[in-house]
Amino acid sequence: MFKEKAFMFGYSPKRLFLAQELGCKLMSFTIVVNEEKDYLNAINDGYKNVKILDVTDDTALERLDIKEKDYLICVMDDHYLNVFLTLSLHALFPKAIVVALSDSPHTTQKLKMAGASKIIDLYQVSANRIHNILHKPVATKLVERLLSSEEDFSFKEMKIPKASSLDGMMVDDFDFSCHGVILVGMIDERLSNQFIFITSGLENRFDVGDTIVCIGYNEDLEKFEDYIRL
Amino acid sequence: MFKNLVIKFAFSLNHSTFYKEVKKIASNFLQNQDYHYKKYFDIFMILLIIISITILVYEVKYKVPEWMDFFDIYVVTVIFTIEYLARVWVYNDWHLLVVKEYGESQFLNRKFSLWKPTKVALKGKIDYLFSPTAIIDLLAILPAYRPLRVLRIFVLFRVFKLLRYTKSINQFLSVLSSKKFELFTLLFLLFFITITAGIAIYVFEEQKNENINSLFDALYWALITISTVGYGDISPVTTEGRVVSMAIIITGIAMISFVTSVIVSAFSEKLTELKENRIVEEINKNEEFMIICGYGQMTRMFLKHYAVEYNRRYIVIDHDKEKVEEAIKEGYSIIHEDASRHDVIAKFNTDYAKITLLALTGSDIANIYITLNAKALSPKIRVITRATTDKIAKKCKLAGADSVVMPSLIANRMLFSAITQPVMYKAIYAILTGQHLAQLDEVNLTYHQKLIGKKIETLNFKEHKLLCIGLQVGVSREFVFNPSMQTSLEKGDILLIMGRKVSIAHFKKLYEGIRYV
Repeated sequence: MFKEKAFMFGYSPKRLFLAQELGCKLMSFTIVVNEEKDYLNAINDGYKNVKILDVTDDTALERLDIKEKDYLICVMDDHYLNVFLTLSLHALFPKAIVVALSDSPHTTQKLKMAGASKIIDLYQVSANRIHNILHKPVATKLVERLLSSEEDFSFKEMKIPKASSLDGMMVDDFDFSCHGVILVGMIDERLSNQFIFITSGLENRFDVGDTIVCIGYNEDLEKFEDYIRL
Repeated sequence: MFKNLVIKFAFSLNHSTFYKEVKKIASNFLQNQDYHYKKYFDIFMILLIIISITILVYEVKYKVPEWMDFFDIYVVTVIFTIEYLARVWVYNDWHLLVVKEYGESQFLNRKFSLWKPTKVALKGKIDYLFSPTAIIDLLAILPAYRPLRVLRIFVLFRVFKLLRYTKSINQFLSVLSSKKFELFTLLFLLFFITITAGIAIYVFEEQKNENINSLFDALYWALITISTVGYGDISPVTTEGRVVSMAIIITGIAMISFVTSVIVSAFSEKLTELKENRIVEEINKNEEFMIICGYGQMTRMFLKHYAVEYNRRYIVIDHDKEKVEEAIKEGYSIIHEDASRHDVIAKFNTDYAKITLLALTGSDIANIYITLNAKALSPKIRVITRATTDKIAKKCKLAGADSVVMPSLIANRMLFSAITQPVMYKAIYAILTGQHLAQLDEVNLTYHQKLIGKKIETLNFKEHKLLCIGLQVGVSREFVFNPSMQTSLEKGDILLIMGRKVSIAHFKKLYEGIRYV
């Protein structure tokens, strides 16, 4: 169970999977809708924490129990409303993290300007996927395995704890492959809070508090996480 | 006895792959507009026709060198004759009809009749022989017969023969044929007015005009006047005759304007269709291409990123005129058609080309229908379908889709990882959106044979700033994640690597090439 708290603005059959995953895995998950039919659909699908309000009304939004670092997911089907809502949420809760869905580069640009921290362009990802299916079938299968929650193979991010065996080591000096995992990248807290791909060629050192991202079989990833705690 | 021999012969033809192959090649060169090499054959024939016409015209006034005469008689004419006979040969298959008739007679326990299939085959061949194009082909051979100089007039048929190989003229004729009714009505009117005016001038001036001595002269004058050509060799001398002249000049102008407007309107109506046919013909010349159904947001995004890479080896189909116009403005190859219609997909060269079809319309029902349509036409077509939910995705798979793309599912997974594992999300986002700083790519050892036999440890991935993620073993197609450093690469293997676009390109360049053993 993840400790993050999230509010999902908008509910439709297309978002069922997302709602199911977030509903199961987050400590606190609220669905906010502005139409009666969406409200009834969410209730019928078994969600208890569903609120109906006018999302264009700032006072109504302020009444929601949104705190710093809460995730605000804007997935309204109406993209005009989605941009407007992103702007309103960013203005009302500047320290919350707004994640929004876009359907075009123009909308992505507007969402960025409206203050969304993370924007997922629905069609850019899909277009790239079609290209990959055609030209990189092996890579596509791997990415599918990595993304699917049902597979035994995934990405994992791990924070280097205090007194970790990795602390103080240079990236190049540690052999990940003998643990059955591959280091993809990291956040070197000493340098910046930006994610650095391991293939970028920078020579980094593992320090306590850094976050590393590895891929591998779930079992190996778990074992490796235990190993770095030692 | 004879029948048995014929049946045996028909069956041997039916089983002979060599015969089938030869006939297929001949048929492709002669009839298949989509066949890649047909254009070379057409160009060759056009050149031959031009040379032969030049020789025949030159010969009218000058003496041609002997070798030129030899070339015209023995080379050009022999090629024309072979082509004529080959066209008759490929027109239908007699042996197939015999085999079919024999099979049916055996099944129904009835007496086998050789005449029945032969009659059908002969009828087909005769129908072909009397078709205008076959007659032109035959008459185009005749000028080669030197003893009868009168046959030289058939050189005209060599000019007509050009029609076979030039699409523009055929298209012009097809446009005109679409206005057959209007043009025939006008022709009838022209005939009627010419006859009436001719008779009138004959009646008024036969005695008074020295240039009009017969009804033919009068009709000739009427036609020259109504067409507004007016040579002036015959002109009316009486007031009545001049009145008739004025009347038919006015009628002539009106008719010419009418004919022009009919032809112009026929062209403007058919212009889009002609342009689209050209686009389809162009795409069909490729051995491998892509058909994208629906010009929605996903197609826009796909073309924005990859249109250059596919370099005109794609065609978009959409039935919304506004979207089609928008795509044309963007410079994409698009036709205004309904992709769910069987005849639209059937226009493409499904027999010979490797086709990938993307069903990306906004409607799940339309996408499934397009998938079924394409797969029914040719199971070889690779179909990638867009679906909104996993239930629809299952239906797409049942309909035969090779892959299904669910934009909402991918987005949902990314949203989920953005919240639960925000650092990892950056890696996934970069990989999924194909960003230059982290790409997942494949190195196929079929095209990078310099890698064959090398051990992974010798490839220095670290030095190349790359990560070796995995290996798909060529024979078993088994995927090995994080392969051991001692793994030796073999032909057919696919290496999965990750890194910056530039690092991947450099690595591929280093090991590219096919090794000839």
